[in-house]
Amino acid sequence: MNCDNCNERPASVIFTQESVNGTTERHLCEKCAFQSQMFHFDPNQEPLSIQQFLSHWFGGSESVQPFQQSRESMPEGPTCPECDLTFRKFLDIGKFGCPTCYDTFRERLPRVFGKLHNGHTKHAGKIPVSFNKMFSVKKKIEEIRLKMQEAIQEERFEDAAALRDEVNELKLHLVKEGNGGGEGNVD
Amino acid sequence: MSIDKFMRGAVTGWMASHGEHSDIVMSTRIRLARNLRGFRFPIAFTAEEARQVDEQAATALLNSDEKGYAYMKMSELPSLDRQVLVEKHLVSPQLTDPKRHGAVLLSEDETLSIMVNEEDHIRIQCIYPGFQLENAYEHADSVDDYLEKKLPYAFDEDFGYLTSCPSNTGTGMRASVMMHLPALTITKQIERIIPAITRLGMVVRGSYGEGSEAPGNIYQVSNQTTLGKPEKEILADLKNIALRLIAHERRSREILLSKSQVALSNKLFRSLGIISFARLLPSGEAARCLSDVRLGIDLGIIKDVDMSILNELMIFMQPGFLQQYAGSELTAEERDIFRANLFRERLKIETQSEDNNKEN
Repeated sequence: MNCDNCNERPASVIFTQESVNGTTERHLCEKCAFQSQMFHFDPNQEPLSIQQFLSHWFGGSESVQPFQQSRESMPEGPTCPECDLTFRKFLDIGKFGCPTCYDTFRERLPRVFGKLHNGHTKHAGKIPVSFNKMFSVKKKIEEIRLKMQEAIQEERFEDAAALRDEVNELKLHLVKEGNGGGEGNVD
Repeated sequence: MSIDKFMRGAVTGWMASHGEHSDIVMSTRIRLARNLRGFRFPIAFTAEEARQVDEQAATALLNSDEKGYAYMKMSELPSLDRQVLVEKHLVSPQLTDPKRHGAVLLSEDETLSIMVNEEDHIRIQCIYPGFQLENAYEHADSVDDYLEKKLPYAFDEDFGYLTSCPSNTGTGMRASVMMHLPALTITKQIERIIPAITRLGMVVRGSYGEGSEAPGNIYQVSNQTTLGKPEKEILADLKNIALRLIAHERRSREILLSKSQVALSNKLFRSLGIISFARLLPSGEAARCLSDVRLGIDLGIIKDVDMSILNELMIFMQPGFLQQYAGSELTAEERDIFRANLFRERLKIETQSEDNNKEN
């Protein structure tokens, strides 16, 4: 069956809406479902899909009926400022909308990843060279800042000023590297 | 490099029959999922974002030292050509959805394909013939090294490479080996083995994605976990499991051979007979017979058929290829007729050319 909305992609999500006039049901594709406000996951679809997996683990009860009711009352959770995805919607469709989602849901993700990746929650593999460099620069800035505070407390103000200049130079370096993450501020 | 070469060229890189354990492991595939910072993932992005991602990725690759990338926009390819790319495993079915703004960059030998705007912005895919996990990974990794210098990858210190699906987060790597396991299937041992492998954090599927049915006794074994383990460790784990499967399959083959040689060779030769002489050849039967003949060659029972022809036929028997070859759209029955013709022709051509070689 094709998506009721775009009629182009196959429908994979069932969107049910309850109102005084009864229940309406729409079959949507992933993309249209993402753009719609609220949807239900179709429990009859792909038995081992990631959505179902996530919904079952984090949606509450095991059986479908109470599980759907509990979803109604489940809070939306934080909303991603970049793509408007809520945490609840993320669990429903089983996909992130953008890289910023990871920041938005950061605290809740270890639980999700733990279930998906055999208990692992932290990356242990390849790191892009640029991030590696940036990471070491950030660490260095942190170290110098500690030394700077020490110097201030011991009233070695000239040392502190020199250290401050060093930090500023490194910060400039970070900006030049174009880290774009907005985390370069050590002030 | 013309698109025609990709579409009609006889054999794509991974179909060649060589590499370690190539009698059982048909091909090895590494896929790395990468995304660009500052753009939403394809599930949520706008057409304009899609265009920019496409432009950045294509520019980076087409200007690289590696010459001969062919760039194809899915929306500009005829549907039959898209289907052929899918059947060659060079792009995923999802990428060909014209609404996705998908594109692919293919290396000249088709070992490497980089999908743009699939589920993730970039998917680097490397397919090698036989069992070559390390080589395939190194190749994909080198392309990744090049791209990370040119493009702003979305990466996080805790979560690694950020991907649209949480099941890819971390390394973004899916490594898989395509294995021909007829003896384990005939003896039904595979039914016990699959759940055991699943418990070890690996996935076993039929060769064309989900579902337990494995047409042609071909299974795809891949890693499930992408977070918390370095790439090398994931590859080592997969290699280990694949090696155990290979050993298991070999043992089962020996047992089959020793216990029922006549019945087995009867079955395998009948299948050779079917694909050599059939006038109507449905795809299911073709896949089953190809598996039998392949086993026959591996066991030394069938001698004068070249394995690379079987690999080629496995790809060419699919609907997209057949229609490409025929130069027109075909109904299901026409395809069965055409498939039968193609099989007869290829198998005969080969024996003739071998005869010629002997005369020379």
